[in-house]
Amino acid sequence: MNNVVTKMLLVLTVIGAVSGGILAGVFHVADPLIQANREKELKEAIFVVLPEAKDYKLLEKEVDKAKVIAYKGIDAEGKPVGLAFIADGGGFQGNIRVMVGLNIDYLKLKGIKVLEQNETPGLGNRIKETVFEGQFKNLEIKPKVEYIKYRKPEKPNQITAITGATISSDAVVKNINNAVEKVLKNFPQEEVLK
Amino acid sequence: MERNDLKSMEDKTIDKLQEKPAQEKQIERLVVSSSPHFLRDENIHKIMHTVVLALLPAMAASVYFFGLRAAGLILVSVVSCLLTEYAVQKLREKPVTMWDGSAIITGILLALTLPPGFPYYAAALGSAFAIGIGKQLFGGLGYNIFNPALLGRAFLMATYPVLTTTWSEPLTKGVKAGVDAVSAATPLALMKFEGKMTSHLDMLFGNVAGSMGETSAIAILIGGLYLRYRGYINWKLPLGYLGSMAVFGGIFWLINPTKYPDPLFHILAGGAMLGAWFMVTDMVTSPVTPLGQWLFVICGGLLAVIIRLFGGLPEGVMYSILLMNAFVPLLDKHTRPKFFGEEM
Amino acid sequence: MANNTLWHEFKKGLWQDIPPFRLVLGTCPTLAVTNSVINGIAMGMATLFVLLCANITVSAIRKIVPGQVRIAAYVVLIALYVTVADMFLAAMFPPISKALGPYVPLIVVNCIILARAEGFAQKNPIMPSVMDALGIGIGFTLSLAVMGLIREIFGFGSILDIKILGDWFEPWIVMILPAGAFFVFGFLVALVNYLSIKQKGKKTETVCH
Repeated sequence: MNNVVTKMLLVLTVIGAVSGGILAGVFHVADPLIQANREKELKEAIFVVLPEAKDYKLLEKEVDKAKVIAYKGIDAEGKPVGLAFIADGGGFQGNIRVMVGLNIDYLKLKGIKVLEQNETPGLGNRIKETVFEGQFKNLEIKPKVEYIKYRKPEKPNQITAITGATISSDAVVKNINNAVEKVLKNFPQEEVLK
Repeated sequence: MERNDLKSMEDKTIDKLQEKPAQEKQIERLVVSSSPHFLRDENIHKIMHTVVLALLPAMAASVYFFGLRAAGLILVSVVSCLLTEYAVQKLREKPVTMWDGSAIITGILLALTLPPGFPYYAAALGSAFAIGIGKQLFGGLGYNIFNPALLGRAFLMATYPVLTTTWSEPLTKGVKAGVDAVSAATPLALMKFEGKMTSHLDMLFGNVAGSMGETSAIAILIGGLYLRYRGYINWKLPLGYLGSMAVFGGIFWLINPTKYPDPLFHILAGGAMLGAWFMVTDMVTSPVTPLGQWLFVICGGLLAVIIRLFGGLPEGVMYSILLMNAFVPLLDKHTRPKFFGEEM
Repeated sequence: MANNTLWHEFKKGLWQDIPPFRLVLGTCPTLAVTNSVINGIAMGMATLFVLLCANITVSAIRKIVPGQVRIAAYVVLIALYVTVADMFLAAMFPPISKALGPYVPLIVVNCIILARAEGFAQKNPIMPSVMDALGIGIGFTLSLAVMGLIREIFGFGSILDIKILGDWFEPWIVMILPAGAFFVFGFLVALVNYLSIKQKGKKTETVCH
């Protein structure tokens, strides 16, 4: 009886220890690669929404125990060209993550890129098409980004919603507005220009 | 019941019975059915062709408002339904019953729920799905759980989400024929996304954008009332469904009249009329017990209103009926009247 | 003779015991990740890797592990291989890892793997276990690839991201939605059943399987 219990303990311990060892080894090799992939993805997205930027700097602030993060894009001469930040929020199904580029004049967007979305294929997921993303280039953020249906934009702060996917278009616009508001509040222009 | 005819009908049936061999005669006399035990000269054929007749006003309205293309779509859907019925029954080595009229009705109903600019090939695909998967896969007429036309429509909605939600204004609004691609919003979409209301009168006659056979409430009503007059539909089903929509829609309207539409809007807009008179009343996919029927229509109407007001889609009639279809076996089972002395 | 049995262990996974359609095992990934050929193959390969490693180890230690704790031991091992596969994909093929999402870690609970460990590897030596894992794993990969092929053709009009149907083809969005997975799965199960009924009928009518 005692023998069986000892054997059980022994076998499980050995299996657990060996598995743990192997995992630690694999993690040691794979983790730098995974981090590098993530960073590369982030970098690419920042340079898409801030095309003039050649480098970026991480800006971080703690507000109400939550971190607010933005990336300051810097051009070849070291001058700031704008801010990039992530607009995250609910869509038609699941979250939509969008990288947003704000011009340094704090009046216009420089571009957006959808990073993650689970919208309906062929309908809501057209938010990641360049036709839709391109509309946000040079879009005015004041007083607020708006969308309009079936027609060409009438004001400089409007985009045309995707026909049949108003909810997804609405979600993108709403998330961007929320994120822009947060960034304007936490990273004032003079502070960033310094 | 037209009592005067009954006598002659009964005589006719007796004549028929007497022609048959004795054994068969006995079996026919042993048919058990619920009271009243009148014999009527009716069969699937006749019922189905009356329903087609009742759909004529709606079809005429669709052609009037959206042009000959509407007629083309109806024709394509019906032909595709008939061919699918024939093909599947041949494949399953079952007797071919494509001319019993049920496939024709499925085709017409499906076509009436489509946008007027819908491509012909897509309509044919939806019809093939409606009959092939929606009806024959379950065993044919009488065995299908879901209304085949609505199932076909739901399939098209998932397959071609853009095509099924691209509407155009009716020709009567002065849109030149041939200039399509002018997308328009249905009254429900206008209400949901832009907070705009459409005039009740336009919705009553059908002078609005929408599915080609659903816009004209009055044309559908004429057909529905004709069916009621012929005694083919139970008044509980359509009136209960529309009433439930009006009551639940009305509750929200009373809570906030500026945000939510009034009850009349609910029953005139979208597929409510067509759904209530021709789909809720489908003999195969609705409950048979009175209590079951009441639950079916009240829950259906509530679901439709909830989807319209709080769901992602502007219209909820189709999914509300399909969802309630799924509950029909359960409703029938639990609302069956008890035998005397039976323990539940 | 020995070769014959090994061949049989391999072959059975390809048709007679093809996992999703015959055993109806591993239906979760079959339905969830097969909206394109490449996703199906990647998922199949990841499962094949885990299955192979699990079968080899389980078979190797089958005489050491006490019966009372065998399931616990197998689950730890399977979890190990799954985590390795997950990290490998994330490090080397980030787009595929992203597309498969949580379904790679979910291989842990894929019943095919525990079923083969419990039902085959713990009763057999290493070589037959390897053949069994290869056969079942390749059968599973092929099944997912076929599902992905059908769904990608109808849902995107392409195979392996190469457009094969012209602009005239309006993609059937339903095929890349979960509903489409159920349609295709149902049709394939029906087809496999139809073919085997025909096959059986040809051989002999008296033998009962």
